[in-house]
Amino acid sequence: MTGGARMKRPLPGLAVGAVTLALPAVLDDSALSVYIFLGLAAMVTVGVSLLMGYAGQVSLGQGAFYAVGGYTAGILAVHGGPPVLGLLAAPVVAAVFAAVIGVPLLRLRGHHLAFATLATQLILLSLAGQLEFTGGDIGLQGIPRFGIGPFELGDAASYAYLTWAGVAVVMLVTRNVIDSRPGRALRALATSETAAASSGVPVGRYKLVVFALSAAFAGLAGGIYAFYVGYVAPGSFPVLLSIEYIVMAVVGGLGTVWGAVVGAAAITLLVQALNVVGTAPGMPSYAPSVLSYAVYALVLIVVVLFLPHGLLPAVTGRRAARRPRDAGAGR
Amino acid sequence: MRELLTYLVNGLAVGCGFALIASGLVAVHRVTGVVNFAQGMFAVVAGLSASWLLGAGLPHGVSEVAAVLIATATGLLTGLLAIGKRGTTPQSSLIITLGVGVLAYAVEIFVWGDQPRSFPGLPGSLTLAGVGIQWQHLLVVATTVVTFLLLTAFFGRTYLGKAFSACASNPYAARVIGIDVTKMGLLAFALGGLLGGVAGVLVTPLRPVSFDTDVTLIVNGFAAAVFGALTRPGLALVGALLLGVAESLAAGYGYAAYQTELALGLMLIIMVVQSARRATVLEEAV
Repeated sequence: MTGGARMKRPLPGLAVGAVTLALPAVLDDSALSVYIFLGLAAMVTVGVSLLMGYAGQVSLGQGAFYAVGGYTAGILAVHGGPPVLGLLAAPVVAAVFAAVIGVPLLRLRGHHLAFATLATQLILLSLAGQLEFTGGDIGLQGIPRFGIGPFELGDAASYAYLTWAGVAVVMLVTRNVIDSRPGRALRALATSETAAASSGVPVGRYKLVVFALSAAFAGLAGGIYAFYVGYVAPGSFPVLLSIEYIVMAVVGGLGTVWGAVVGAAAITLLVQALNVVGTAPGMPSYAPSVLSYAVYALVLIVVVLFLPHGLLPAVTGRRAARRPRDAGAGR
Repeated sequence: MRELLTYLVNGLAVGCGFALIASGLVAVHRVTGVVNFAQGMFAVVAGLSASWLLGAGLPHGVSEVAAVLIATATGLLTGLLAIGKRGTTPQSSLIITLGVGVLAYAVEIFVWGDQPRSFPGLPGSLTLAGVGIQWQHLLVVATTVVTFLLLTAFFGRTYLGKAFSACASNPYAARVIGIDVTKMGLLAFALGGLLGGVAGVLVTPLRPVSFDTDVTLIVNGFAAAVFGALTRPGLALVGALLLGVAESLAAGYGYAAYQTELALGLMLIIMVVQSARRATVLEEAV
C-alpha cells in the first residue's frame, strides 16, 4: 500500500529525503544526537513493524538483536578489526543469531513467542554481564570511531548521515520485500498459517526469513550505536527498549514502512520534549523517568484501543480506504 | 545434607511465590484468553503498599490485607483497560497489559520512589531435624497450599467458578446461556490482582521489591504457568515448585549467576516441546 502510494506521488518522498539530508547541517550537537537516536530507533522499528504487521509475530526481544549488533561491532573494533568489517558483521551476526534461535522459537506463536523472545533477551543480557569477552557488567569501553581506511567519522553530523543512510537501506529492502511475492505470502500467513500453508506458502521458512531480516535491521542499528556512543554494556539494552520499539511500531501503524519511521519520530520527539520539561528547574528528580514511563504507557494504550491501525493510517486513512486494499496485487 | 535441605526449603518457598503469580495468570487466561503481562506488577504494588502502610504505623495484618485489596483494585482497573472495550483481541489485550505495566512504573516511582523496599516478615525460625526453617518460609508455603485448595474448590464447586470455566471453553455459548462474559473477565482480572497481591506481601520480606522487579516475577510466573499450558493451576504449582527448587539449588551450589539462564532456558524448552505436540489448526480455531 505504502509502496504504491509512494510510486504514484514521488514528491512527498523526495521532500522528506531532502529535509533528512539537510537537517544534519543545521542542527547543533545535542539536537544531532536526538536525530541519530531517532534514526536508529526507526531502523529497528521498521523491522518490528514488518514482523508484527506482515508476519503477525510479536517479538518482545528486539532489543536483544540490537545488543547482538552492538556487541559484535564493539568486540571486533576493540580487538583492532577494521570498523567497516564490524559494521557489516553486526547485521549479519544478528541475523544468523535470529535464524538459529528462530528454528525452535518460531514454532511458538502469540503470547508464547512474545515471552520466548523476552526470555531470550534476558538470557543474553545476563550472559553478557558475566562473560569475559563481553566485558561483564561494565561492558566494552573505548570502542574506536567508525572510519573507512584513513577517513574517520569524527563529528556527530557524519554519524547522522551514516544512520540515515542505514534507514534508507532498511526502508528500501522492506519495501521490496513487501511488494514481492513473498510479501503477499507473508500477509497471508499473518491472517491464517493454515490457510497460507494449504495455498503452498512455505510458512516456517518465510517466518524465519522475516525474523532474521528484522534482526538484521536491529543489528545494523546496534552496530552504528556502538560506534557512535563508544561503549556498550548490558545496561544499554534494557527490556524497556524492546517495549519502546513495540510502542513506536504500534503508534506508527503496523505493517507500514513510513508508519514505522513516523512512529519512531513521534515517540522520540515526545519523550525528548518531556525530558526537557522533566529536567526543568524546580521539577523533582524523579520527574523525567515518571513522565517518560507514563507517556509510553498512555500512548501505547490509547493507540491500541482507539487507533488500532496506527497514527499514519489514521491520518491518511480516508484516502487509503477508497483505494483497492492491495496495491501490488497485479504482479 | 543439611545444606541440601535448607536449599530445598528455600526453593519451595520461592517456588510458592512464583506459583501464586502463575495462578493469577492462569485465572485470567482461563477466562479471557489474555496473558496478563501486568501480573508481576500486582505483586510489586502489594509489596510496596504493604511496606509503605507499615511504615505509616499500621499494624501487621491490617497492612498486608490492605495491600492485597489495593492489588485487587489494580487488577480490576487493568482488566477494565485490557478487555473493557468490546472487540479487543487477546493479542491487543496483551499489549495493553504491557502498557499498564509501564504505566505502573510511573505511578510506583511517583508514590514510592525507585529504591527497593522490604518489610520484616514473621520473625524467628523453627529447627527441624537440625535444619533451621524460617517461619516466613513456612507461612509462604502454608498460604500457597490453602490458596490452591481454595482455587480448586472455587473453579470446581461454585457457580461463579463454573461460569468462569464456561467463558473459557466457549464464550459464545456462555453468552447464550446468560453469562456476562465481560463481567466475568473483569472479575478474573480482580482475582488475578488478589492472587498477585498475596504473592507480593508474602515474597517481599524474603526478597526486597522495587518497581522493576515485575519483569523477574512475571517471567518466572509465566514459566510456571506454561508448565500447566496456562490453564491448569495444579500443573502450574508443580512447575513453580520445580523452578524455585532448581534456582535455589543452582544458587546454593555456586551457580547463582546462572539462575536466570536456568529458569528461562527451562521455560523455553517446555514451550517448544509443548508446541510440537499441538496442531496449528487447533490453535487457530480457538
